Amino acid sequence: MTALDLSSDRPARRHSLALSIGLALVGLNVAVAILTLFCTPYDPLNASGGRLEAPSLLHWVGTDRLGRDYLTQIMIGARTALIVGTGAVAIGASIGVTLGILAAFATRLLDDVMAATLDILIAFPTLLLAMLVVAASDSASLWSAILALGLAISAIVARLTRILAKRVLRQDYIIASRTSGTSWPGVVVRHVLPNIWPTLSVNFALQFGLAVIAEASLSYLGLGAPPPNASWGRLLQEAQGTVYTAPVGAIAPGIALVALVIGMNLLADGLRDVGDPTRGRSR
Amino acid sequence: MSALLSVQGLTVSTGGKTLVSDVSFSIGSGERMGLIGESGSGKSMTAMAITGLLPANISVTGSIMLDGQEVVGTDDKHLNRLRGVATAVVFQEPLTALDPLMKIGKQIAEPVRRRLAREQGRVTRLAVDREVLDLLDKVALPQPERIANAYPHEVSGGQRQRVAIAMALACRPKLLIADEPTTALDVTTQAEILKLLDGLVRETGMALLFISHDLPVVAEVVERVMVLRDGIAVEEGAVADVFGNPSHDYTQTLVDAARVFDEALGRTGS
Ligand SMILES: Nc1ncnc2c1ncn2[C@@H]1O[C@H](COP(=O)(O)OP(=O)(O)OP(=O)(O)O)[C@@H](O)[C@H]1O
Ligand SMILES: [Mg+2]
Repeated sequence: MTALDLSSDRPARRHSLALSIGLALVGLNVAVAILTLFCTPYDPLNASGGRLEAPSLLHWVGTDRLGRDYLTQIMIGARTALIVGTGAVAIGASIGVTLGILAAFATRLLDDVMAATLDILIAFPTLLLAMLVVAASDSASLWSAILALGLAISAIVARLTRILAKRVLRQDYIIASRTSGTSWPGVVVRHVLPNIWPTLSVNFALQFGLAVIAEASLSYLGLGAPPPNASWGRLLQEAQGTVYTAPVGAIAPGIALVALVIGMNLLADGLRDVGDPTRGRSR
Repeated sequence: MSALLSVQGLTVSTGGKTLVSDVSFSIGSGERMGLIGESGSGKSMTAMAITGLLPANISVTGSIMLDGQEVVGTDDKHLNRLRGVATAVVFQEPLTALDPLMKIGKQIAEPVRRRLAREQGRVTRLAVDREVLDLLDKVALPQPERIANAYPHEVSGGQRQRVAIAMALACRPKLLIADEPTTALDVTTQAEILKLLDGLVRETGMALLFISHDLPVVAEVVERVMVLRDGIAVEEGAVADVFGNPSHDYTQTLVDAARVFDEALGRTGS
């Protein structure tokens, strides 16, 4: 079983390539987001050039219809995207994993009730839920969007965690560990969480991407964070009217959005393969 | 003297089906007993009932006194204090009994840490590490450091079972339950593991409940056997009496089967 492993070389290299690209894309986004805390090329709120200037040495991505530098706004948009993705996934993961583990241990009846509730919540469109929450809070703010997206994610994460945890709890090594005196909380920490983590983390990355996209949609609809929290979604919306005369304004934030989402997925895939010692073998 | 384990009228059932019916036996400290019977006769059910780890949909009645405590009907929290202290279990399938994502050394360290905490109150990493390597050495694994840093899928089947035995030994239980510990292994490895288990049990003086359907194997390690058939204990007694002069037809069939098998293999009886 362990003797021959002819396939180990190629997948390993492919995985590390995915990991590097993912790291590069996400790393760039993080670096830019941190940079904007200290300095930006121009003032994001005031005109620094003519209206709708084409890309030039002074304004690499041009200016918007108020003469503000696009690059500056896209950079700040990177920060917004990271905050939204991280915040929503953090909320979704902490609530979702806790609920999912509890459901996995719950009695049959309670478990059925929880599973049904989660299915109903998940069937509800995330964006609609987010719009309702944002509309219900008196002013559109980044935090109400994050909270709404986090709650939507928590339902998805809870359902996934419940299924994964139940599968792990059926394994022989759980009983084996119990016979040597491991308590149920000990089993969760030492066996269940590490064994569901590879699948969960990939899902977190997916949810991160979806949250970033959802926030862009909210901003596009005018329900996102108000200025100065530049968001890629609002940039897209503002560029809509001038998309034929100045397409860069729409293309640039679009590329930034796609790059972050793809980067996040590649990073998660790569990390999972690196973190799973049984990869590259059967399974 | 009260026995280490005393099972009285143990009945295990699920959904109207009786899996183990009115089984009674006892094991004194340091005593070695075998439980034999064909597949599905309820051997594992009996063993798991002793650890109190049968699934909730399986009901247990009767009495199981383990180290002075009643197991049947006791809540999980109290039972957990007995697990790894009064009993430890070695399972049939060594690959699935180990967490695939946890390094071997870490898996053995868990019970070691619990025992040291219990015995000495304070645990240092150094003491745990030393004990882990010591245990790997005790079960005759080569290069203990390498094995401790390996994942279960990176060592052979026989080595995995040695790891599982090391994990059980880490608890220093009063009673070791071995549920067909050699069935999943090839014949040569079987003999090695059996010898190891036998030696360790004698050396540490712990009691042993050895489950198997292989008579020669059982005869080698235990003094006394009980024969189970369809959840009913059909015979019990010293190994020589039961195998040499079976009083029940079923036992006779098992003995005959073992003899035919042995002859076919060209083994010279044990
Ligand atoms: N979870 C379960 N629910 C209901 N019945 C079960 C369950 N697990 C096992 N059984 C039944 O209980 C009976 C006894 O099973 P047990 O595992 O104790 O057999 P065994 O003697 O250990 O056999 P083997 O030598 O194959 O391990 C079998 O008939 C089996 O089908
Ligand atoms: Mg069995």
